[in-house]
Amino acid sequence: MTQFLIRRLFWAVFLFFVATIITYLIFWVIPTNPAQLAAGHAASPEFLASIKHRLHLDKPIWFQYYYFVENLVVHGSLGQSFINRESVDRIIGKDAPVTASLVFGGAVLWLSLSIPIGILSALRPRSILDRITMTGVLIGISAHPVWIGLILSFLLGYKLHLTPIAGYCNFFPGAPGAQCEGPVQWAYHLILPWVTFMILFAALYVRLVRASVMETMSEDYVRTARAKGASQRRVMVQHVLRNSLLPVVTILGMDLGLALGGAIFTETIFNLPGLGHEVIQAYGANDLPVITGVVVFSTVCVIVFNLIVDVTYGFLDPRIRPS
Amino acid sequence: MRRKQVLSLFMLVLGVAFLVAATTVATAGSATKKAGSTEAAKGGTLKLNESNEDFDYVDPQIAYRTDDWAMLNLTSMPLVGFPEKAGVAGTQLYPIGATAFPTVSKDGKTYTFHIRPGLKFSDGSTVTAAAYQRAFERVLSPKMGSPVGVNIHFETEIVGADKFLAGKASKISGVSAKGQTFTVHLTKPNATFVSQMGMQWFTATKPSTPYSSQGLNTFPSAGPYYISSRDPGRSTVLKRNPNYKGTRPANPDEIVITPNVDPDQSLLQVKSGQADLDIAGVVPTASASLGAQYGVNKSRFYVGPTSCVSYMSMNTLKPPFNNVALRKAANWAIDRPAQVRLLGAYAGKRTDQVLVPGVPGYKPFNVYSLKGANVAKAKEVGGAAIASAPAINFVHTTSQVSTNRAQVAEYNLKQIGFQIKDVPTPSTTFYQVVGSKTTSYNFTSNGGWCADYFDPYDYLNVLFDGRTIQANNNVFYTYFNNAKWNTQIDHAASLSGAARASAYAKLDQELMTQYAPVVPYLVLNDVFFTSSRIHNWIYSAYFGEPYYNALTVG
Repeated sequence: MTQFLIRRLFWAVFLFFVATIITYLIFWVIPTNPAQLAAGHAASPEFLASIKHRLHLDKPIWFQYYYFVENLVVHGSLGQSFINRESVDRIIGKDAPVTASLVFGGAVLWLSLSIPIGILSALRPRSILDRITMTGVLIGISAHPVWIGLILSFLLGYKLHLTPIAGYCNFFPGAPGAQCEGPVQWAYHLILPWVTFMILFAALYVRLVRASVMETMSEDYVRTARAKGASQRRVMVQHVLRNSLLPVVTILGMDLGLALGGAIFTETIFNLPGLGHEVIQAYGANDLPVITGVVVFSTVCVIVFNLIVDVTYGFLDPRIRPS
Repeated sequence: MRRKQVLSLFMLVLGVAFLVAATTVATAGSATKKAGSTEAAKGGTLKLNESNEDFDYVDPQIAYRTDDWAMLNLTSMPLVGFPEKAGVAGTQLYPIGATAFPTVSKDGKTYTFHIRPGLKFSDGSTVTAAAYQRAFERVLSPKMGSPVGVNIHFETEIVGADKFLAGKASKISGVSAKGQTFTVHLTKPNATFVSQMGMQWFTATKPSTPYSSQGLNTFPSAGPYYISSRDPGRSTVLKRNPNYKGTRPANPDEIVITPNVDPDQSLLQVKSGQADLDIAGVVPTASASLGAQYGVNKSRFYVGPTSCVSYMSMNTLKPPFNNVALRKAANWAIDRPAQVRLLGAYAGKRTDQVLVPGVPGYKPFNVYSLKGANVAKAKEVGGAAIASAPAINFVHTTSQVSTNRAQVAEYNLKQIGFQIKDVPTPSTTFYQVVGSKTTSYNFTSNGGWCADYFDPYDYLNVLFDGRTIQANNNVFYTYFNNAKWNTQIDHAASLSGAARASAYAKLDQELMTQYAPVVPYLVLNDVFFTSSRIHNWIYSAYFGEPYYNALTVG
């Protein structure tokens, strides 16, 4: 197991460098003028030259990448925003919990819904329940999160006054200038974002669970267990569920990692100050350090969650436990 | 029903129940809050949205956007400023931090202000002349990064400012502060100097305020409000300054600004009362229906003029637009009503001149067609030169609005016979492309200007003085440089009062009849929609926003 972990860690580091090189090349080599962006378009030539030197933009590109990695690895710094010169680390530190609130809360909801519905649907294929479920899945996959969010906020927020239309409240009180805070307001403001965020994933996971359960139920060992007299409950819990959840775990790890990079649509519609919203604002303002920082953070999240998935696999299924 | 199915169903019901419970509890809470809240006219919290953007800076000596300034106006104590009054009265400067307008020396180079006694910052410290000296230093210090004073060539206006900017002096020798007396020595007479002192950059600034290239988020303020907290991208909160004893209104107790809101969501929030106003305005698609429902400037829906003129620029250094006849032809060809329609109902007023209503010297004239493109006249004015003109590099940014604007304008120019090469350019590189003297652009549909201060100098001299053209980073893209015109604008700048206004009115017309380096098409309006609890709307044409300190909540 230790060898496996070390191998995976080295692989993760390699992936990290590949991702950062690609990110760096994309965002720093496209025809913009980072020095001009940082200095402001009315900057004097002297100040522009000093900014260029400070950002190492007068050096060869491989040197610039070296400084970028050195800054990141040695100083733990992703630089400063061009727009308000705030530390990108601080921006990500503020925004990541908001995205995490949305993603993990949405994940709890979509798993709570999709697993039971998927199982029920698999146990009664082509029944009325199954057909209704699959129709719902089709709608959930087809409807864009932006549309869903706008419809929900219009109906539930504006027309029925059941929820806030948009906005976010901190979970922990005490932030200066916060107009609402505390767990209750935090959850209240996240109801619509959670529902919007989870609809697409719930639809996908219902299909996944249904297919996986149906496939597993037709396996020989399930038939053998039934033949040996095991109860339906024992067959489902001990044999079917544990095996059919493997693909769910795989996909869940990847989805969480990707979503932590920013649930862009949901955050934008509901004005949640998370990573997705931040990267959209940064894109509009050409704030390259913030864009790069969010991409690096997302990459790290995907790598970490994939690592967790790989380790979790070993506990779920001894057959694939690394030896 | 089997046990496992009951369990699965139970989990499903439980999940839904949690959702419903959270909604019910929170709704009960908010319903109680709603039922219990009846706020007095003075007091309460004003909840503002700022859709799609945030203030780029709130540091008064760095901020340079209209919305920044409108907010900073609540915190500022400039020497002179605009009163919270509607209409023309709101565009007349009056002494705020100063006891009176300055005394000016006979040679017109020395201005002396006396600071009003008893003024205090929000932290209780006293406002003296040194506070204004500090503002000047922060406007011009190289330690502030890209000092904004350079944008108006302030370093050439004040004695010793150039050495200070270059880092060769620790103080600006032409600025002195002794007690409550503040004196400024200019390098040459400047009739716009007092107007410039109304800009937010020159507000009273506590002398111990540090330099910061990042910009400060909170600082002591001497105006009716101070910024109590700022979380960039998330919120800006202003509270009433307890030490402010002046006559400017300070009606809400607190003003909370939430940036980066989706504009459609913002409108819903204002309609439902979850927010009071979106300071970025109303989505263009909603203007017509809101105007029909509420009427204009009667209640909740407001339309106001701004000091902003939108124009398209032509590169006068290169063919074909080095030919004045072709520039005039372009002015006849562009369909101004179509450009205004693109922006939605109440977007603005068509224009064919650079000065805007409210600016001294503005006198409406009608040189080109405001009713639509005049293709026949354009062809007549352009003549044979149109057919022999090289293809026009038509540069525009890639936003939806810019692209729409460009498509209509390109169509207009093609109608009279020009060949067009469309050059969509990302905004990241747009200023590099058009702001460089060796640019290849010929025509751009992006462009416009809003007043830094309400004086025609800020339009006609700042935008069309060819002697300020530099190799890069130009603020105007026509590269228009005419010796006779330069002499005329110098002369107009030396005048004052009615003579000055008259001279600039003549120049405004002459610019378009004789030289036509731009195609002005719109004087922008700002359109706002408020919640039902907002009253006492007083609009500022200078800021293009209402005076938030004058609004009452409840």
